[in-house]
Amino acid sequence: MGPKLHLQIDERSGVPVYRQMMDQIKYYVAGATLRPGDQIPSIRELAAALAVNPTTVVKAYTELERDGVIEKRHGKGAFIAQAAPSLTQSEQEDALRRSAKQLAVEATQLHVSTPKVITVVREELNALGPVRGGEVEPVKFAVMAGGH
Amino acid sequence: MESVIYARGVGKSFRGGAVAVNGFNLQVEGGEVYGLIGRNGAGKTTALRVLMGLLRPDRGEARVLGCSLWEASRGHRQRIAYLSQSQQLPDWMSLDDLSRYTGHFYDHWDVSFLRDLARRWDLPRNTAIARLSGGNQRLAALAMALASRPEVILLDEPAAGLDPIARRELNQCLIDALLHGEGCTILLSTHLLGDLERLATRVGIMDHGRVVAEGVVEDWQRTMRRVQVVFPGDAPPRDFAIPGALRCTCLGPVVTALARVTDEAQLEGIRNLPGARVYVFPLTLEELFVDWFRESSPPRESKEDTNLPKDDVFLGPSG
Repeated sequence: MGPKLHLQIDERSGVPVYRQMMDQIKYYVAGATLRPGDQIPSIRELAAALAVNPTTVVKAYTELERDGVIEKRHGKGAFIAQAAPSLTQSEQEDALRRSAKQLAVEATQLHVSTPKVITVVREELNALGPVRGGEVEPVKFAVMAGGH
Repeated sequence: MESVIYARGVGKSFRGGAVAVNGFNLQVEGGEVYGLIGRNGAGKTTALRVLMGLLRPDRGEARVLGCSLWEASRGHRQRIAYLSQSQQLPDWMSLDDLSRYTGHFYDHWDVSFLRDLARRWDLPRNTAIARLSGGNQRLAALAMALASRPEVILLDEPAAGLDPIARRELNQCLIDALLHGEGCTILLSTHLLGDLERLATRVGIMDHGRVVAEGVVEDWQRTMRRVQVVFPGDAPPRDFAIPGALRCTCLGPVVTALARVTDEAQLEGIRNLPGARVYVFPLTLEELFVDWFRESSPPRESKEDTNLPKDDVFLGPSG
């Protein structure tokens, strides 16, 4: 556990904190950074480490348990479930779409043509090297450009 | 059962007729962290001082843990800690002196916790408070407030004057207080809205001496959006309104609104307007706050907008 789990809370994303925690843990599971049976920090540890209200961590863990991603073992803490579901296709698409939407807004505001946008995306993908088979990298929630 | 912090119809004016608090209502439940935000002069400090029993309200009721602190016994008052905006410690004393002196007045004075905080924050325990830096004086006051292991903590801009590291320590300390024993209830006023996104369960916006809007932080993060609609030509169509708009401004063909978007389908209608381009941005608390107070033309259909569209914005503790 521990060292693998590095959650990042972005106060400026406009995404509820418990949602950010859930999404990041799900991505870690999907990307096999966290594997079935791995222990995840206790509510206290995570609340203290991230300086986040404990009720928020409780909410994230409860939802993750409901989604079958983690399981609580009595007196031992919380673990990644044996049969943790990986991201569904629609969840993958949702995550991607969030970023794509932002890109689209920025491109429009900058008056960048669609082919140019696609070229840039392709270049960035290539810069990461060959895409690994179906693996999803943790997504960092970027700051929206709105309001500055 | 009555809320841990309860205020109803509180009014307080000062000599010369300045009205600080007027029709102030607030209910904070056990275990909550409630953030009071508002412009300078909105009445936050007066509201906290009335709750603490440091000011007597002209009218209305203010109770903490079921009792008006203006009249409460010492035993009751020691269950509640308060960090004022200005330095109130006897500053010729050191932290250790203060702890020895103050500890006598409290049943649950936690010396080892105070020392632990002093160590974490690098606060010298044998130096007179007056000789500490401004930021350290603030942390010393906070350490003193927390060492009484209070059930309720009221903090008036606790992070003012703290550097980012100290601020982070302060937040962590409040989390510790929430996790300790039976937990506690926290009411704080602040201008640092980023901190509230992590800490607070609910936030209330104060204006002209009362809470004019309040909401569950998660709800606001999920639903409050800046919606911008750009029309071809030089003006929006007549009678155009953004659904769910709480504040709205129009600049030429661009209409921008602070809106509650509970469902994307809510914007379907305007997305289908010919030529209209619709942008939706999430908002941080800070942006929401700025948008809220930005001079704006209220949405036409809500007549009572100057009194705020309460039904839209007032969300109960459960959302």
